[in-house]
Amino acid sequence: MKIRIGIPRGLLYYYHGRVWEDFLCKLGAEVIISGETSKKTLQYGSALDEVCLPVKAYFGHAYEVSHDVDYLFVPRIVSAAKGQYTCPEMIGLPDMLRSNISNLPKLIEITVNLRNDWRNLYHAVTTVGKILNVGIAASLYAWYQSWRSRQQQTCLPIANSKNLSIGLIGHPYIIYDRQISMNVLDKLSKLGINVVTPDMVDADQAKNSAACLDKKIFWCYCSHLVGAAFALMQPAQVDGVILMTSFSCGPDSLIGEIIKGRAQALNIPFMLLTIDEHMAEAGFITRLEAFIDMLGRRRQL
Amino acid sequence: MIVTFPHMGTMHITLRTLFADLGLEVMPPPPITKKTRDLGAKYAPEMTCLPFKITLGNFIESLEQGADTIITCGGVGPCRLGYYAEVQKNILKELGFKFELIIIEPNIIEVLKTLYRLTPGKSWKRIYTAFKLAGAKMTALDSIEEKICCIRPREKVSGIADLLWQQAVNGIEVARDIDNVKTVTEVFNEKMNKVELEWGYDLLRIGIVGEIYVMLEPFVNQDIVRHLGKMGVEVHKTMFLTDYVRVHLQRDRQYYNAYREIADMAKPYLGHYVGGHAIKSIGCAVQMSKAGLDGIIQVFPFNCMPEIIAKNILPQVSREVNMPILSLAFDEQSGEAGLLTRLEAFIDLLEYRRGQKGKSSAIKGTK
Repeated sequence: MKIRIGIPRGLLYYYHGRVWEDFLCKLGAEVIISGETSKKTLQYGSALDEVCLPVKAYFGHAYEVSHDVDYLFVPRIVSAAKGQYTCPEMIGLPDMLRSNISNLPKLIEITVNLRNDWRNLYHAVTTVGKILNVGIAASLYAWYQSWRSRQQQTCLPIANSKNLSIGLIGHPYIIYDRQISMNVLDKLSKLGINVVTPDMVDADQAKNSAACLDKKIFWCYCSHLVGAAFALMQPAQVDGVILMTSFSCGPDSLIGEIIKGRAQALNIPFMLLTIDEHMAEAGFITRLEAFIDMLGRRRQL
Repeated sequence: MIVTFPHMGTMHITLRTLFADLGLEVMPPPPITKKTRDLGAKYAPEMTCLPFKITLGNFIESLEQGADTIITCGGVGPCRLGYYAEVQKNILKELGFKFELIIIEPNIIEVLKTLYRLTPGKSWKRIYTAFKLAGAKMTALDSIEEKICCIRPREKVSGIADLLWQQAVNGIEVARDIDNVKTVTEVFNEKMNKVELEWGYDLLRIGIVGEIYVMLEPFVNQDIVRHLGKMGVEVHKTMFLTDYVRVHLQRDRQYYNAYREIADMAKPYLGHYVGGHAIKSIGCAVQMSKAGLDGIIQVFPFNCMPEIIAKNILPQVSREVNMPILSLAFDEQSGEAGLLTRLEAFIDLLEYRRGQKGKSSAIKGTK
């Protein structure tokens, strides 16, 4: 019988999930991914105190998928780029799961730390192979194949000049999660808005745009958000920028200020949308509509 | 050039001595008050943590009073502290202040370069003695404070410990050289030994773990150490400026090994460094339960990422080592009355547990 491995649909799954799934399948495991986030997921997640909503959602996903798998794939991603870290809450995830869920299946909690040495990734890959009884060469080859087959980033679409376009800046695990983001993408496109998200911006372009900061941002995923926001604003490719962040997100509290400052300097409208589990849909829609009305009027001027 | 820096407990004494001895004109920010806090909260991004807001308030107040150079720390993450300075700089510039910001990054070459720039023409010997004296003051203050924490719950005349502490701080602040610091320390050791104490009580012992800024700055933690002392509790702080400097900046072997030991105790609960002091909070909780303390209080700024991880793991520690742990988050809206109620309830719980264990229940009663 195949080993069943569960992957919670949350946080870095939205960045690397496809590659992980493909890789684990190639190693001969059966991969089970938790369903879309629901109210129930968030309720389970409330077992954690004070953490941000996406971490709560991740916790809920881990709990939901934990019942029918042999292993839970919860990599401890300390850093995904040289000289940078992910957020502390992501680094401490496996420990928070372990101490708050009883009867947890075994965790595959490989540490990935590319801060000083990118070759650490190979160590992580072979460790997973070992757990699944796959040899070093075979696991590395499987990783190589999955990594190559990942979706290449799409380039920035040229803005349709008729419609308003908005740069929706936020972590993918917020804006692509329909429950957490209140389905903001659909809502915006229904209102006839061209939405540009950070992952539509080329990584190198974002890096270059962020290079003007006095100090490099040391959170790897956040530094892309800032770079993407800067790239969208200069030259102005969007009519306005919305930063969607979750209540009590640490890194976003500072990068939000940086993006806001830049938007003000360039005279581009900026709105901060903070989400948490007490959000009401009506208020959310009102804010979106008001922002869009304002953008529309600015165009007519 | 008039130099200023952020407040953190008695750190201003150490830093003022250091910079003054390096030949700089120093002006520590005015003591932290409600105004400082409100200024910081007004101009800081809403979701930043409390230390960001208070230090921003410090900077605004000292720039208003005429300082023109801010010296503050940098960092490499993942804690937010490392990026404070960049954001604070932009906020202060937007407010229209003219100043220079010197960020000390944890990188020895950068530190030496900054030092060289700040102290043109000073001999290395002079720089060395400046650091020595500042270090001596820091160590003296920390050692006296530790003793004061033991005296406060036992003092016969209420308020004598606080008075001595205030005098000691003043005495050490004006000390001019290392010998002077030594004499002052000895004088106060003598005085502390002579304080009349009420013995015969088996006092409750509570350890305080958590984030360094909240633990060291009495304004931020609502003077929790003093309140606990007044309630008749012997308080054991786990964070001192000396410890921090010795472990993280100097890598002093003795202190570093002690830190490693604590980190090893945290290993079964938290397997990786997550920034800040999360590992130390958990490790110290385990260590203190072994040392037979009655309870632990964790203090941290609201939405501090590393301490939130510790907070979510500490209940497990509490279950496994069988010791109550109270987590207290502080922000700009924390009130004193609420804090006192929670502390009293916690102390009641600890006393009750002692009674259950059959030990002689003994508490001096709230003064």
